[in-house]
Amino acid sequence: MYTVIKWNLISLEALMAVILIALTVTDIALPKKIKRDWIGDFSIISLSGLIVFWLTQSALNGVTFSNMFVMDSLAWFFKGFFLLAMVFIFAMTRECFKSLGERRNEFYLLLWLALIGMCFIASSADFLLLFISIEILTISLYVMTAYLKSDRLSIEAGMKYLILGALSSGFLIYGISFLYGTTHSTHFDVIQRYCQTHALSAMTLFAMVLIFSSVGFKIAALPFSLWVADVYQGAPTPVTALLSVGSKAAGFLILIRLFFGIFGAWHFEWRLALAILSAITMTYGNLVALFQTNIKRLLGYSSISHAGYLLMGAAAGGALGASGINFYLLGYLFTNLAAFLVIVIFSITTKSDEIEDYDGLSQRSGLLACTMLFALVSLAGMPPLAGFFGKFILLMAVIKSGYIWLAFIAAMNIVISLYYYLLIAKRIYVDSPRNPSLIAVPICMQLLLVFAIFGIVIIGIFQGPFLDAAMNAVKGMYLSHLQ
Amino acid sequence: MITPNLSWILLSPLLGLGLICLVPSYKTSLIRRISSIAVLLSFILSVWVYAVYDPVRSGFQFVQNVPWVIPFGISYHLGVDGINSLLLLLLGAASFAAVLVSASVKERVKEYYILLLITIAGTYGAFLSLDIFFFYSFHEVAAVPVFLMIAIWGSKRREFASMNLTLFLVAGASIALLGLLALYLAAGLGTFDLIQIQQHLAAHPLPIETQYWIFPIIVVGFGITLTLWPFYTWAPSGYAEAPTAISMLHAGVLKKMGAYAIIRFAIQLMPQAAHTWMPTIAGLAIINIVYCGLVALAQRDLKYLLGYSSCSHMGYILLGLACFNTIGLNGVVYLMFAHGIMSALAFALTGFVADQTEARNLDELGGLLKCMPFIGTCFMMAALASAGVPGFANFIAEILVLLGAWDQYRWLTVFAVFGLVITAIYMLKAIRLGFQGPLNPKFASLSDAHTLVEKLPYVLLLALLILVGCLPSIILTHIGSSTKTIVESMR
Repeated sequence: MYTVIKWNLISLEALMAVILIALTVTDIALPKKIKRDWIGDFSIISLSGLIVFWLTQSALNGVTFSNMFVMDSLAWFFKGFFLLAMVFIFAMTRECFKSLGERRNEFYLLLWLALIGMCFIASSADFLLLFISIEILTISLYVMTAYLKSDRLSIEAGMKYLILGALSSGFLIYGISFLYGTTHSTHFDVIQRYCQTHALSAMTLFAMVLIFSSVGFKIAALPFSLWVADVYQGAPTPVTALLSVGSKAAGFLILIRLFFGIFGAWHFEWRLALAILSAITMTYGNLVALFQTNIKRLLGYSSISHAGYLLMGAAAGGALGASGINFYLLGYLFTNLAAFLVIVIFSITTKSDEIEDYDGLSQRSGLLACTMLFALVSLAGMPPLAGFFGKFILLMAVIKSGYIWLAFIAAMNIVISLYYYLLIAKRIYVDSPRNPSLIAVPICMQLLLVFAIFGIVIIGIFQGPFLDAAMNAVKGMYLSHLQ
Repeated sequence: MITPNLSWILLSPLLGLGLICLVPSYKTSLIRRISSIAVLLSFILSVWVYAVYDPVRSGFQFVQNVPWVIPFGISYHLGVDGINSLLLLLLGAASFAAVLVSASVKERVKEYYILLLITIAGTYGAFLSLDIFFFYSFHEVAAVPVFLMIAIWGSKRREFASMNLTLFLVAGASIALLGLLALYLAAGLGTFDLIQIQQHLAAHPLPIETQYWIFPIIVVGFGITLTLWPFYTWAPSGYAEAPTAISMLHAGVLKKMGAYAIIRFAIQLMPQAAHTWMPTIAGLAIINIVYCGLVALAQRDLKYLLGYSSCSHMGYILLGLACFNTIGLNGVVYLMFAHGIMSALAFALTGFVADQTEARNLDELGGLLKCMPFIGTCFMMAALASAGVPGFANFIAEILVLLGAWDQYRWLTVFAVFGLVITAIYMLKAIRLGFQGPLNPKFASLSDAHTLVEKLPYVLLLALLILVGCLPSIILTHIGSSTKTIVESMR
C-alpha cells in the first residue's frame, strides 16, 4: 500500500540526523592533525538554531509513516524540553571534558544520538518505534556512562546501568509481545480501541505491568530504581544530568502517552497502584537521601523522590494531573540542571563531589553558591520558585482525585527533603571553607548559571504562560483519553 | 483625593533589595541607608493607608486586581480592611525598628540586609493579599531567609534552632496548603480569590461534613505558626538564637500571620465547623497560656523567657478566636497588634543587652539599670505592658478577650486570668534579676543607647504601645468595622 510521507512532521528529527551524520563523517574524514574542538561550539549553535526551528513547528499536527510517527502538541512540548536540556548538557560537557582532549568530541556525537532517541520517543505512535527509540537513547547512555575509561566508578556505573537497562528493555519487549498477542497490533490507535471495548484481562494486565516496569526504570520509580545511586555517582556529571532530566522526562512522556492515552480507559484499574507506588517512591528517596555524603548520590536519591512526586500526577489522572507533570518537569529542568552546572564547575576546580567540600562555598564563589541555593530551595518546593508551583498543581490534582492521604504523605515529604536541602545550604552559606581559594567560573558558564536562576524564578513567579504550555501539550494530545 | 497604591508598600523593600544587590559589599553604610529608607517608605505608606481607610464604609478598600494564572483563577489581588490595615501598621513599625537595631550587625552586612528585606517584603505581601494562593506564597517566602539568618547571625545553638524552626513552620505551612487546596476544590468556584469565595460561601455554605475535616487541617497548619500547643517547641529556641531583628519580626509579626489566616480562611469561611471545633481550640489555648507561662517562669535565660512568654500569650489570641462574639474577636486583633509591638520591643531591648553584655542569663546579669537607665526603663515598661498593666495596649486587648470568653467558657477564663498573674511574676523576676540589685562589676563600663538614632526604635515602639493603650478608639474603630461582618457571618 502506498502512503504519502509527510516529511514536514519529521523535519526536526531529520535535521538532527543530518547534523549527526555530517559530524560523524567529518570526524572520520578529517586528518588527525586538525583539531575538532569546534564540534562542541558548533553543536550548541546548531541546537539554538534547532530551537528556533522548533518554535515554528508549534502548529504541526498529524501522523505519518503508516501511523507510526506522530507529531502532536505533547511531542512538540517535549521536543522543546529536550532541546533546551541538551543546550545545558552540551555546555557542561564542553567544560567538564576538557581534560579528555580529542575523546570529548566523540562524546558530542553520542549526545546527539541520545537527543534523536528522545525526540523519537516523543513522536512514537507505535510500540515498535517506541522500543527502537528507547534503545537509541539507552544504548548511547550506556556508552556515555562508562565513558571515563580510567575511572573505576564510571566503569562500574556503566556496567550496572547496562545490566539493569537490558533487563528493563527485556521487560518492555516482553510486555509488548503480550499486548500484541491480545490486541494483534502494535499501533497505539488499534490498542486504544481495544482497551475501550474490552475489560482488563489477566494477559493485558501482565503486559501493562511489564511495560510499566520498563518505564519505571527510566523515571527511577521504586522498585526499579536500584541503579540510580551508583550510576548517578559514577557517571560523568553531564551524563548524570542527562539521566536525571532528559531520561526521566522521556519516561514520563511515555507514561503520559500510554497511561493517559491508550490505556486511559482502564484508568481506574491502575491509579491506586500508582498512588501507592508514588508514596513509597518519594518516601524512600527522601529518607535515604538524608544519609548521603556525596552530592551526586544525594541528587540521585532526591531524583527518586521527585519521580515519586511526579507519579502523583499520574495517579491523580485527568488533564490536571498530566499538565501538572509537564509543568513540574519544566521547573525541574531548570532547577536540576542549575544544580548540576554548579557541581560540574565545582568539581573541575576541586576534583570533588563530596558534600563536605561545599563548606563555605559562598565565600569562594558567590554565583555558584547563589545558584545552588536557588536550585535547592526550588527542589524543596518553596515559593516563589519553580519547584513550588509544580508541587502545588500536583497536590491540587491529587486532592481533587480524592487521595488525601497521598497529598498528606507528599506534604510530609516536602519537610523531610527540606531538611537535607537546607543542610547543604547551611554548609554553603554558614560554615567556613577548609580551602578558601576562590573558584573561577568561565564567562559562558556564568551566563548559563544566570540563565538557570532566571528560569527558576520566572517560572515560579510568572507561571501563567508556562502553565498554558503545559496544559496545551496535554489538550492536543494524539489519542488522548482525558475527561 | 490621591489614594495610596498598595503595590508600592510591597515594592519598596523589593526595590531596596535590588539596589543593595548592585552595591559592592564593603559599602556597608550605604547598604544600611538604602534598607532603612526602603523600609521607612513602606512604613509611611502603611500609616497613610491606615489613616485614609474609611471604617464607616468597611469592606476592602484600595483594591488592586490583576489576573495572574487564569486557568486556576489566581489573581494578584491586594486590598485592606480594618484588620490587615492595622497589621500593616504593626509590620511597618516593627520592620523599621528591626532595620534600625540591625546596626549592630557587623559581619556579611550585604547578605544580611538582602535576607531581611526579603522577609519583610514577603510578610507585607501576605498581609496585603486577598488571594489565597498569593497569601500562601508570600507567607512561605520568608521561610528560607529566616533559616539562613538564624544559621548565619544567630547565637550559640543556632544550627539546631534554625533547622527546628524552619522544619516546623514548613510542616505547618504544607499541612495548611492541603487544607486550602481542599477548600478551593470544595468551594468549586475555580478561583482563589478570597472575596469571591467569601461571598459564595456566605450564601451557600459547604456541607458540614466537608467543613468538619478541612477546618482542623487549616487551623493546625497555621496553628503551628501561631505556636499552638503542642506545636510550639520551635519558637522559644528559634527566637532565642535568632539575631535580634528576626526575633523581633518573628515573634512580633510573622507568627501573627497564623492568627490572621485562621480568622480569614478557617473561621470566616467555615463558621459551622468553627462552632463544633472551637471548644477544643479554647482548651488548647488555656494549656498554651498556663503551660507555656509556667515554663517561662522556670527560665533563667532572658530570651528563652520572652520566647515562652510569647507562646503563652498566643493562648489569649486563640481563646479570643474561640469566642464567636465581636468583643472577643476585637480583642484578638487588638492583641495581635499590641503583642506584636510589645514583643518586638522586648526582643529589641534584650538584643541590645545581650550585644553589650554578651550574656543573657539572668544570674549573670543584674543592676543594669545603673549603667543603662534608658534601656532598663524601656524594658520595665515593656514588661509591665506584657503583664497587662493598664495604660498599655496589651491591657485593653486582654480585657476584651477575657470579657469575650467569659460568656462562653467561664472556667477556662478563670485559668486565663491566672495566666496574667504568671506573666506578672516572671516579668517582675526578669526585672529584679536583670536590671535591679547590685551591678555586676564586669558591666560597669557598658554604655546606654545614647544617640537619637539608637533610641529611635525603642521610642517608636513604646510610643505606639502607650498611645494605643490610652486611646483605644484609634484602632478599635478600624477593627470593629471588619470584625462585625465576620461575626455576623458566624451566626
